[in-house]
Amino acid sequence: MINIWRLTRVQLLSSFGLNKALHTRDRKERNNLLLLGAAILLCVVMLAAFSFGYSYMLAQTLESIGRVDLLLALMMAVTSLIGFFTTVYKAGGVLFGFKDYDLVMSLPVKTSTVVASRVLQLYSLNVFFTLLVMVPAGAVYAIYVNPGFLYYPLFLLTLLCIPLVPIIAATIIGALISWIASRFRGSRTVQLVLTIAFVIALMAGSFSINKQEQVQVLADLGAELAESVFRLYPLASMYVGAVCSYKAGSLLLFVGISLLAFLLFTYVLGSRFKAIHTGLTTSRASRNYRMKSLKTSTPLRALYRKELRRYFSSSVYVMNTGIGMIMLLVMAVALLFVSADQLGELVEVPQLADYLNTLAPLVVSVFVTLSCTTSSSISIEGKNLWILQSSPVPAHTILLSKIAVNLTVTLPVLVISWGLLSLSLRTGWVESLLLLVIPAIYACYSAMLGVLVNLKLPNLEWTSEVTAIKQSAAVIVAMLIGFISLAVPFAAALLLPGVDGNLLLAAIGLVLLAVCGGMYRTLQTRGERMFRGL
Amino acid sequence: MPAAVKYRKGVSGMKEILSIKHYSKSYKGGKRAVDDINLTVEQGDIYGFIGHNGAGKTTTIRAVVGVLDFEEGDIYIDGISIKKDPVACKKVTAYIPDNPDLYDHLTGIQYLNFIADLFGVSKEDREARIRKYGDAFQITASFGDLISSYSHGMKQKLAIISALIHQPKLLVLDEPFVGLDPQAAHTLKTVMGELCRSGSAIFFSTHVLDVAEKLCNKIAIIKGGKLVTHGRTEEVTGDNSLEEVFLELIKHD
Repeated sequence: MINIWRLTRVQLLSSFGLNKALHTRDRKERNNLLLLGAAILLCVVMLAAFSFGYSYMLAQTLESIGRVDLLLALMMAVTSLIGFFTTVYKAGGVLFGFKDYDLVMSLPVKTSTVVASRVLQLYSLNVFFTLLVMVPAGAVYAIYVNPGFLYYPLFLLTLLCIPLVPIIAATIIGALISWIASRFRGSRTVQLVLTIAFVIALMAGSFSINKQEQVQVLADLGAELAESVFRLYPLASMYVGAVCSYKAGSLLLFVGISLLAFLLFTYVLGSRFKAIHTGLTTSRASRNYRMKSLKTSTPLRALYRKELRRYFSSSVYVMNTGIGMIMLLVMAVALLFVSADQLGELVEVPQLADYLNTLAPLVVSVFVTLSCTTSSSISIEGKNLWILQSSPVPAHTILLSKIAVNLTVTLPVLVISWGLLSLSLRTGWVESLLLLVIPAIYACYSAMLGVLVNLKLPNLEWTSEVTAIKQSAAVIVAMLIGFISLAVPFAAALLLPGVDGNLLLAAIGLVLLAVCGGMYRTLQTRGERMFRGL
Repeated sequence: MPAAVKYRKGVSGMKEILSIKHYSKSYKGGKRAVDDINLTVEQGDIYGFIGHNGAGKTTTIRAVVGVLDFEEGDIYIDGISIKKDPVACKKVTAYIPDNPDLYDHLTGIQYLNFIADLFGVSKEDREARIRKYGDAFQITASFGDLISSYSHGMKQKLAIISALIHQPKLLVLDEPFVGLDPQAAHTLKTVMGELCRSGSAIFFSTHVLDVAEKLCNKIAIIKGGKLVTHGRTEEVTGDNSLEEVFLELIKHD
């Protein structure tokens, strides 16, 4: 047990530059990290407040149908499902993609212990989100129902168990995909394709569930809601039984299933772990190369090709940054087929149509901003950075190649989705143009922003790609700035109904273009120095 | 090459390829890692840079190749300041770090071609050189495999070939003989000799003192961030072996 904690702690320390902040002797660096920590804390507090407000409103609605007890069930089911969904595509990477594999595996610890420490890393990523949703929900519930003293210890005890089962379920799928992939020659490509296929299938599946449920909204709303939540996630009923009704049986069952799933999984995967890892990492060495004619290209093209190959060689990288574009495409396709009629009716409603036209480009831009590959593109160089730093290529060319890869990921999908969305939303030509141009500007904006933020907040000392891609300060900061850059126009569109939507969008586009110009100039003038200072 | 650049001739009359002038570098936090280093490498030199662990060898080498930013002093390569025109300096320099981490996701030949593109090597030159050095280091057959499948020594060989691909005027190596098999080490020494005869210069750090003594015409010894001695190998060693000189110099505080 103690070994599991030791291994997990080492991994967690490398997240978010935590250990650097604790041990750096450079006062300036430490202050920067402290400042960053404070900013992140502020965001957490804001998110918690938002979460509280949401729970409060939900509780009001539920009270009107007399089922406040469903608040916890709903929130618990939602966190679990989101946890499952966001873990599925990174499980394979977290489990098997760590560079200190040889070091860790040669230590006198059981393989199941190593597996457990990897699963706990996934757990730590999820428990944060769970706390952010469940603690405010629990508080709102306590305010509304004023439960007995027993509620509090039960709530806290079960709280930490909530993410376990979703993570295990997601990890089983991730491990299965890795296991299948490890038996193929191009194991990384197979892993990537399988993961994307699974995520799309999952999204398609959830669309069809929603469709069914819409039909079944009946007179007895409360009972129907309870049933659908429990059907969607059976553990939710155990959870509510334990926390709200103090049933000992439910409590034992819920905690028992969660812990047992964790133990069983680490044990079973522990027995196959080495085989899967070997299959995934062993590259084919044919040793039969003969010199052929070589193609020459410009430095920018060479860098771009190398960067693109790097991107697609990592399923964690692709899934974490490409998920937004996959979702956009699935959504665009779904809108075309699933509810063309319903959407048609909505578009007929005059006021809504205005909103839709103004908001649609911004909604598409959300997906584009989610797909920021550049905010980890410098961190991902890691120990390879010397190659670029010692090459006779100006830094802005190097940075440009990273931006180009980001645009390669976003722009083609954007254009396809734009075509589909124009069809299903029946937009006029000005609206159509804005639907393409505004997200395209956001794509450039977020790509350049990512590079700049990553230059300022690099994480080059990772042992697992996940640390660079998911748990680094640069990624979080870039995402926050990206969201703020979207929240402001959203708020403007909703709060200024008098202003013409197209005009507003054009203004936003112009402002962003100016910012893009500024960032491009910064990369050209100060990029060299920033890049060498890494 | 800028017309204003004038070549200074060294004492021996050969052109200066690398000139380190009053270079100092402090750790974050203030402690000096390297303190006022002055050193000149001329055309045809094989210059050995010797010191114990943590003496400041890598800190110096990384500044020379433009990987490490520095404030104090300056470094000139082929007469050009690396601070003022780093790209021009890097064009004529090649660097192999002590533990070359290469792009695991590329094949050997993709990596070499990538480096050749960055250095703007012509198609004919790159093909001829890759063929020549690939065969010399007996690694051509593995060029089609991913670098992730390479052993440590193979990665090092690939890094060496990638450094030779643009015929650098200055070749900088950090501990080049660690991890190479005896045959590859021999090939590397031969290649180093060849390169210097054709007018380039080599600056490398090493712990292997007898190799340094045999291979280098000049040697510098660094201790605690300061140069304690430098010059022609026979002048530095005198009647003693390099090992004796080194141990003697390191012992005195």
